[in-house]
Amino acid sequence: MAPDLTTREKLLSDRVLLQYEVEQFLYAEAALLDARQYRRWLGLLADDIHYWMPIRRTVTLADIDREFTKLGDMAYFDDDRTLLEVRVRKLEAGSAWSEDPPSRSRHFVSNVRILEIAGDEITVEACFHLYRTRLEADIDSWVGRRVDTLRRTDAGFRLAKRHLFLDQTVVQSTNMSTIF
Amino acid sequence: MADGGQDLRAWDRAQLLALFDPATGALDRRVLSDEALYQLELERIFARGWNFMCHDSQIPEPGDYFISYIGEDQVIVVRDEEGGVNVLLNTCRHRGNALCRAEQGRAKSFVCSYHGWNYALDGRLIGVPGLKTFYHNDIDRSRLGLARARAENYLGFWFATLATDAPALRDYLGDVGRTGLGMICANGEVEVVDGVQKNVISCNWKIAVDNLFDWYHVPYSHASANTAGFLDIAAIQHPQSQMVMLGEYGHAIGGPGIPRERQDQIDAMSDEERAAASRAAPPNSPRIRPRAARDLMGPVGVRSEGHPNIFPNLWITLGGLQMCLRLPRGPSKTELWWFTFVPKGAPPALRRAMIAQANHVFGPAGILEQDDGENWSQSTRSARGFSSRGLGQYIGMGLGHDQAVAGEDGEHYIESAVGEHGQRWLYRAWTEWMAARDWTELKANHTPPPTGPV
Ligand code: FES
Ligand SMILES: [Fe+2]
Repeated sequence: MAPDLTTREKLLSDRVLLQYEVEQFLYAEAALLDARQYRRWLGLLADDIHYWMPIRRTVTLADIDREFTKLGDMAYFDDDRTLLEVRVRKLEAGSAWSEDPPSRSRHFVSNVRILEIAGDEITVEACFHLYRTRLEADIDSWVGRRVDTLRRTDAGFRLAKRHLFLDQTVVQSTNMSTIF
Repeated sequence: MADGGQDLRAWDRAQLLALFDPATGALDRRVLSDEALYQLELERIFARGWNFMCHDSQIPEPGDYFISYIGEDQVIVVRDEEGGVNVLLNTCRHRGNALCRAEQGRAKSFVCSYHGWNYALDGRLIGVPGLKTFYHNDIDRSRLGLARARAENYLGFWFATLATDAPALRDYLGDVGRTGLGMICANGEVEVVDGVQKNVISCNWKIAVDNLFDWYHVPYSHASANTAGFLDIAAIQHPQSQMVMLGEYGHAIGGPGIPRERQDQIDAMSDEERAAASRAAPPNSPRIRPRAARDLMGPVGVRSEGHPNIFPNLWITLGGLQMCLRLPRGPSKTELWWFTFVPKGAPPALRRAMIAQANHVFGPAGILEQDDGENWSQSTRSARGFSSRGLGQYIGMGLGHDQAVAGEDGEHYIESAVGEHGQRWLYRAWTEWMAARDWTELKANHTPPPTGPV
């Protein structure tokens, strides 16, 4: 018979388990994107998902609150589920030339931290590195911070929010035709 | 180093003019790859022309600045205490350090981070550390202010040129450039939406400009946007109802045109009737412009639903919702900057819809724009191969099959099916700009917009 856990140990083991669950979800989601399983990836999204990447700017410290554009202003991505479905149908179209021949992508997720738990929603911060190569020798390397909201459902987690804060100002890429 | 292994050599006037043959539509692909031509472009196209800087609403208060470019010359666009706008080369007169590192902000003056020289918002050198101790008061500060470009605005859009002999902005724009900027303001005064999308494409800047007149590529390049149900290409292309306007010095507008009979009906409608008809139209159809648009765009221009380009590199798109600046970064590299405008005080729902359209269509992640960049970079890349370069570009569509006519206000325009009149006008103007040593020569030796067979 296992010895009784102290309160502290119990709290810690709950946190470790949740951390494990969250990370496994993020890794599985990343693997679907790398494997070009876009339909299955759509299955992991909540119906009210907000997928957003604001524009980042070089500003002085005095102006640092203007580093990123705000919600409702211009952005690289400001998508709801309908638009993400458009992106997936486009990727499958056979005529999305920027992804056909398909890119090779690798989604890395690290420094995963659970920021907040509110009811069935978990806010998770992570660092991302999306590495993409195309054609003979095109290389894109996108690094940044990401804030995701995972919602617990009977079928497992669903992604309800993905906000991406890219570490680039002039985007050093011909396009961003990949899903982050 | 020369791009594509070519020699850095001087081009003479006859050679420059021969790079494009308007009689056949043959373009020499070296215009996309040659390093010496590129350096000449910085001097004879960008430093000489009027370059778009930013909109009034981006720098509303004294001290507000925005960093922009004239070719590869970085400039500070700043509002001074008197409300005027100065365009200053962002290079300290001491050792050349950049005064501004941030891409936008507010400043009381510009203090150099290297040795502390201090410049007023109008560029005057007002402070030199050690003026007495180290310089012995023996320095002429009046000659060491920041270099200034000429700055003028039309409808609140600021432009700058480094040519002292350039015509006034209004004359430079001509009817076509004014129609283009008028298109943005056709529904009333506008303000910029915060955030300029910027990305870099491995293409020559002219390929990107050529493409904005190109309504031939839309069903092919953007087929996936159609398949994905994002938009109905047939409903926006209007391949049989195109109108190209040609302006002096290379400005042009190309794309769908409202047939004259339809415009006559619109002209008879009140603003209320136009608004009602716009609401009843299928989604994604262009809004019928209010009566005031005719004053801004002219009787011919108001019929354009196409793409203006203000020579050399300013594209106005989505019916005037956005501008895309194509900044040269070497023969095979271009930076794209997207500016977005909404009517001042637009109701929140309209503002949201307009911003969503801008975010979803263009920019590096735009459902349409995604697929353009790779075509442009591959087209540029082939100009580096010795034999591929020798083949030339074929820009002959519609050549000799259409008529240019003069409108009642002196506009020159062509109504036809999809063609390449805009592209030919672009490259023809480009050779004339490149061949002229100054504005006097360019004024004397450029082709006026045509009337008759084209
Ligand atoms: S380079 Fe600016 S003060 Fe020396
Ligand atoms: Fe396109």
